[in-house]
Amino acid sequence: MSAVQPATSSSSASSPAPLDLVALRPQAGTQAFFRHRVVGDRVLVTNFEGGWLLLTRPEFAQFATGTVPAASALHDRLAAANFLRAHYDVRRAADALAARRRFLHAGPNLHIFVVTLRCNETCVYCHASRANMDQVQTDMTPEIAEKAVELALRSTSPFITIEFQGGEPLVNFPVVQHVCEYAGRRAQELGKQLQFTMVSNFALMDDAKLDFLIAHRVQLCTSIDGPEQLHNAQRKLPTMDAHQRAVHWIRRINRRYEDMGLDPTLYHVEALLTTTRETLPRWKEVVDTYVGLGCKALFLRPIDPFGFADRTRLRLEYPRGAYLEFYRNAVDYMLELNRQGVQVLERYAGIFLTKILRGEDPNFLDLRSPAGAGIGQLAYNYDGKIFSCDEGRMLHEMGDSKFQLGDVRTSSYRDLVGHETVRAMVLASNLDGQPDCVNCTYQPYCGTIPTFNYKNQGSIFGRMRESSVCQVHKGIQDYLFEKLAAADPAVLAAFDRWTTHRAREHFVQTPGQAASQAALEP
Amino acid sequence: MQSSYPDIPAGLVAHDLTAAAVQLQVDPTIYPLQAIYGAAYIFIDRCYVFLERPEPGQVRVTLTAKGGSADAGALRALVGEFANELLGCAWRHQITQDNRVLLETVTMQAIAGAMGQPSLDDLASFDFSDQGFDDPLGIALSWEEKHGKKAPAASTGDGEAQP
Amino acid sequence: MTAADPSAPAASDAPAFLDLRFHRELYAGAAVDEAIKVFARHGEFHLSEAADAWCVHMRALRPALTRRLAHELANYALGLTVQRGGPP
Repeated sequence: MSAVQPATSSSSASSPAPLDLVALRPQAGTQAFFRHRVVGDRVLVTNFEGGWLLLTRPEFAQFATGTVPAASALHDRLAAANFLRAHYDVRRAADALAARRRFLHAGPNLHIFVVTLRCNETCVYCHASRANMDQVQTDMTPEIAEKAVELALRSTSPFITIEFQGGEPLVNFPVVQHVCEYAGRRAQELGKQLQFTMVSNFALMDDAKLDFLIAHRVQLCTSIDGPEQLHNAQRKLPTMDAHQRAVHWIRRINRRYEDMGLDPTLYHVEALLTTTRETLPRWKEVVDTYVGLGCKALFLRPIDPFGFADRTRLRLEYPRGAYLEFYRNAVDYMLELNRQGVQVLERYAGIFLTKILRGEDPNFLDLRSPAGAGIGQLAYNYDGKIFSCDEGRMLHEMGDSKFQLGDVRTSSYRDLVGHETVRAMVLASNLDGQPDCVNCTYQPYCGTIPTFNYKNQGSIFGRMRESSVCQVHKGIQDYLFEKLAAADPAVLAAFDRWTTHRAREHFVQTPGQAASQAALEP
Repeated sequence: MQSSYPDIPAGLVAHDLTAAAVQLQVDPTIYPLQAIYGAAYIFIDRCYVFLERPEPGQVRVTLTAKGGSADAGALRALVGEFANELLGCAWRHQITQDNRVLLETVTMQAIAGAMGQPSLDDLASFDFSDQGFDDPLGIALSWEEKHGKKAPAASTGDGEAQP
Repeated sequence: MTAADPSAPAASDAPAFLDLRFHRELYAGAAVDEAIKVFARHGEFHLSEAADAWCVHMRALRPALTRRLAHELANYALGLTVQRGGPP
């Protein structure tokens, strides 16, 4: 079980006074289906298709009791947003819902290749169950890699992302090279759009590797835990300079992109943060570190319960209320930086806001209904075993193989995505069937993670009131809607930028275009 | 079972520290049997779970901690956790019935979207014989099978279920 | 000594045989059969039927493990019953 205490409020900010529904005496009849939640001094209402309004308490009282005057501004707002039964536009609601679920029409677009478990760093919260550098039997072979590529390219998604992970993927660089070349060639033959990403600590990077990765347009991502002292304390190299090495290569790679004529605001190394207990009071230093490295985005992820983090959680874990306080402080600071002209966004906020403000789903696989396990992503382990998701693979390395779907040597693509485990996870992560979520105001924007539920609560369904993931999701959305209610123009402008998607076309290999040739063209 | 809990109505729960076990009386009119199964199944990795009918219309759930020992606090926590899971399962049972069409539609679309249309190789390797169905009118039989004449030679496509 | 459920208090000596009653409305008979097959080599099992229950009269080959074997058997039968969706 998780060490996290279930929260009674979503954040450390003072809880708003609840609505007295008994005194209010709601009357059904004029309202279309809606859910409601008190956010700050307003009442947020959302409808079936994800439309929303922030009402004052008197406005909500009128709405709930069916006493909104017909010729009033409130009536017009409610009708325009599809909250009134007499004016409910079914077609519009259906189209909006379809837009939010567009990802259902295609199969896995993300294919995680764990090319080795070997890693040169030891991270206190490692969720990958890394192996020592002499454990060469944990390297993926070229033969397994090719079979994994063939399965990945069988996906019904026209757009395939192959993400190299580990361990440390640079440890098994020959297979990374082989996959880039083999998959690049096969994607051209099959008419698939393809891109590569790599999550690396960069400590084993050198010029030759970088040349290859640049030539094959591999998007590079690393981990930065914040300032140097914190990073090096949590991510240990024998030389105790993990931060310095990562920073060195972040700057080198960003300079290479600039030299190629690529827009630095769009093309730069992204970094990921893992929030431990040590991180929480240092939110300003974390943001400043990322901004100083030229990063345009932070993903303020809480620690997860997989791998080593399970063993060290007593030292690393924290109540999610404390995390949410950290989150609010960090994002408030980021918004202040935005006000000063510094472009930096928070990734969780960007994902939620895209759903809230644009009615689109950015297809972040852990934040959608149903979740992406098996239907949006597949994870291929070094030994050829295939899992519903990377967390499922991590559980396998911890001794629990429940989320294994098959093997590259014996499974067909349809066997994998049609597996009964995938069906179970789809059902379990559909919020329309989940207690609590079914009534939650944030249901149109949210998602649950079956593997998290299973690890922390014993079933893929989970119990949301006791779920740390739910607590985080609610807390972040409360914060965002408070900001939307305050309607500060500078904040709204920042949110508009955070939800403006700019495609990184340079990293996409389209059919008819050779990878290494295109890499030379800005 | 020897003792009950002061914060739970009498007669609903009892515990036995010696046996490291708790018993809960569950009303199936509030918690459908499927919900009881759902909650019980969650616990079989860390408890021994036994279901009984002490009387018609009642279910008694006995949870015995594996390992043979548990203190009063741990047993009380077990009761609370089981009750929460039971509530969740009961509610989910109701929601599933209410939203069945929506859930089935989304699931079908998700799986169908991921699987795509079967290829000829996929169809050739599909084992229709597993589908066992009643055919009292012999509709699935060919004319030759029905009337005893040999079927014309047919090509066999034994493709593997591989991409 | 007999007990309707394995958690009943133990006598001072380990029981020679122990009785389990799996109510027909709660357990699938096929699940109980299957569970017994799985654990057959660890004990001695005698099945019978009552009007309302599948009855198992059992002991472990090592008498001190009888209660634990009964627990494991009951869990297994419950698991199989749940997987089948309940009794027919």
